Amino acid sequence: MKQQSVSSRRQRARSANGQRDEIAHLRAELMAAYARIAELDAQLAASIQQTRLVNERLNTILTVSAALLITHEIDTVMQVVVREAVHLFPDTSGALLFLVDQGGMRLRLAASSSGQTGVPVLRPGQGLAGRAFLSPRAMLIAGPALEDALSELSETQSAQERSALTYWPPSSALLAPLRIEDTRLGALVVYGNQNPHLIHPRDIPFAQALADLTAVAIAEHRQRTRAASLQRDLDQTQSLHAEAQARLNAAQAQLLQSAKLAAVGELAASVAHEINNPLYAARNSLYLVEQDMPPDAPQRHFLTIAQNELGRIARIITRMRDFYRPARDELELTEINDLLAETIELVQTHLRHGHVTVTASFCPNLPPLVAHPDQLRQVFLNLMLNACDAMPNGGQLHISTELSCRNERDERWVVIAVRDTGVGINPEHMPHLFEPFYTTKPQGTGLGLAISAHIVTQHGGHIQVESTPGVGSTFTVLLPVDRGVEEA
Amino acid sequence: MSNLQHILVVDSDPVAAMVTQQGLQLLLGKDVEVSLAPSPGAAWLRCMRESVDLLIVDPSPPGRAAAALIKALHDERPHIPVVVLTAYDTPRLRSQMKRLGVRHYLAKPVELAELKNTVSSVLASLNNAQASPVIH
Repeated sequence: MKQQSVSSRRQRARSANGQRDEIAHLRAELMAAYARIAELDAQLAASIQQTRLVNERLNTILTVSAALLITHEIDTVMQVVVREAVHLFPDTSGALLFLVDQGGMRLRLAASSSGQTGVPVLRPGQGLAGRAFLSPRAMLIAGPALEDALSELSETQSAQERSALTYWPPSSALLAPLRIEDTRLGALVVYGNQNPHLIHPRDIPFAQALADLTAVAIAEHRQRTRAASLQRDLDQTQSLHAEAQARLNAAQAQLLQSAKLAAVGELAASVAHEINNPLYAARNSLYLVEQDMPPDAPQRHFLTIAQNELGRIARIITRMRDFYRPARDELELTEINDLLAETIELVQTHLRHGHVTVTASFCPNLPPLVAHPDQLRQVFLNLMLNACDAMPNGGQLHISTELSCRNERDERWVVIAVRDTGVGINPEHMPHLFEPFYTTKPQGTGLGLAISAHIVTQHGGHIQVESTPGVGSTFTVLLPVDRGVEEA
Repeated sequence: MSNLQHILVVDSDPVAAMVTQQGLQLLLGKDVEVSLAPSPGAAWLRCMRESVDLLIVDPSPPGRAAAALIKALHDERPHIPVVVLTAYDTPRLRSQMKRLGVRHYLAKPVELAELKNTVSSVLASLNNAQASPVIH
């Protein structure tokens, strides 16, 4: 124990100096350790900072991805992209997204962190966006190269670009092309501020990722739009095709029908002509017999019947021929009221059979028109027969004429209205009424209104239609008083 | 110079021709002689050789002889008035006849009374032209 204590005292004496060295050594180690700790702390802080940044970027990518899933609005997606890009670099001056037009010759600002769109418009290769567009991958640009790019903008373009940013000129910028495989869609540009070190090369992959996501969204949107438009085109083509097929079928049927009718008409006309001679002979022989007969002869009664009946045959023959009569060449002073009265006379029997009553109100001081009366008669005949067809259960046919000054140049028009209380015209047929071979009647030729419209047009006039399904239709023919006929 | 006026009728339909001829003769009386020509050719010869005051003709098809007769008369004997009385009334024939200078055009089956009125007025106008002194 004593030895121990002696030795320890000795030891203590001997180590007094050594202890001082040791303390200094330990202190130095401690200092080094502190320094190490501080260094590690700093590293940790940097690492945390780095992690946070990565987290934020991840969040941004996720936000953009989510936006892509949620919305199909391409503008919204692009707006999210530029907003998130700015959000990620807190001091950046702004982010601009450009899209190329269809010709590939113009880049237009499609979205910006400031909300501005439309301008500037740049050429591929021009300025920062133009470089980003042509670049194969994202890049960081600063210094003389950046100044070079900015100097290519015109004053207007420069001012437009500046107005979308918070700081000008930037001392650095991130450029990223928007592309899918080999197709260039546009460019994303993130502008720095006055600090040339704000943006770091390690930001480049992120910018590229953001740009790629955007490109996918745009491409998908375009595909969808294209698919929708193709579908629409297809639907339209199919319906057009079906319609064309239906009209072709109808036209073929009508053509056959009208060829038959033409043949029948021709036959009727030639029969009518053949009948004229015997009719002339029979009728006038009776007339001569009547001249010789005493007034009180009992046979006179039957003679009168025979004469009246032959007169009736003569009128029927004339009417038959009128249906087929080709247009007369000559123009005549034509009294429209007389012509209408004659035409009503012609269809009278037909109307009576159809239980249609006719009323007429004619303007008494209608001036005569220089016209082709036969052609106009055909028009009126068509309109009246159509009206009759529109009233299968009978009804009212009203024919009216009036004189009208339709415009400021004081042109006078004769207005002829043919009004029925029939079934009316389905609105879907309205645009086609005057097309040849368009008909809604099973036995129709589809020529009546087409020919009528042609005739009226040749007279410098026009036909109008008003119709209410279930109530009736009014066809109005307007003929100019003071204009000659346009010779076809 | 005899007061008797001569009307010549030519029509390819024999019954119609006969009714025209006999009917007009009956209605117009003894101052007028209505006769038939069997063909346009025969009518042409009589117009050239005899005194014919009025020709009534039906230029209906078939054949163009009647139309040729009207044209020939128009060229060679323009003073002989022509009344066309046709069973084949068409706008084309009407304008063709007008071009040949035909001023009187009737379509069968016209009533004899109307034909007589037309013929009488044509004959009357001939009489007036003969009666009035020619002024140069």
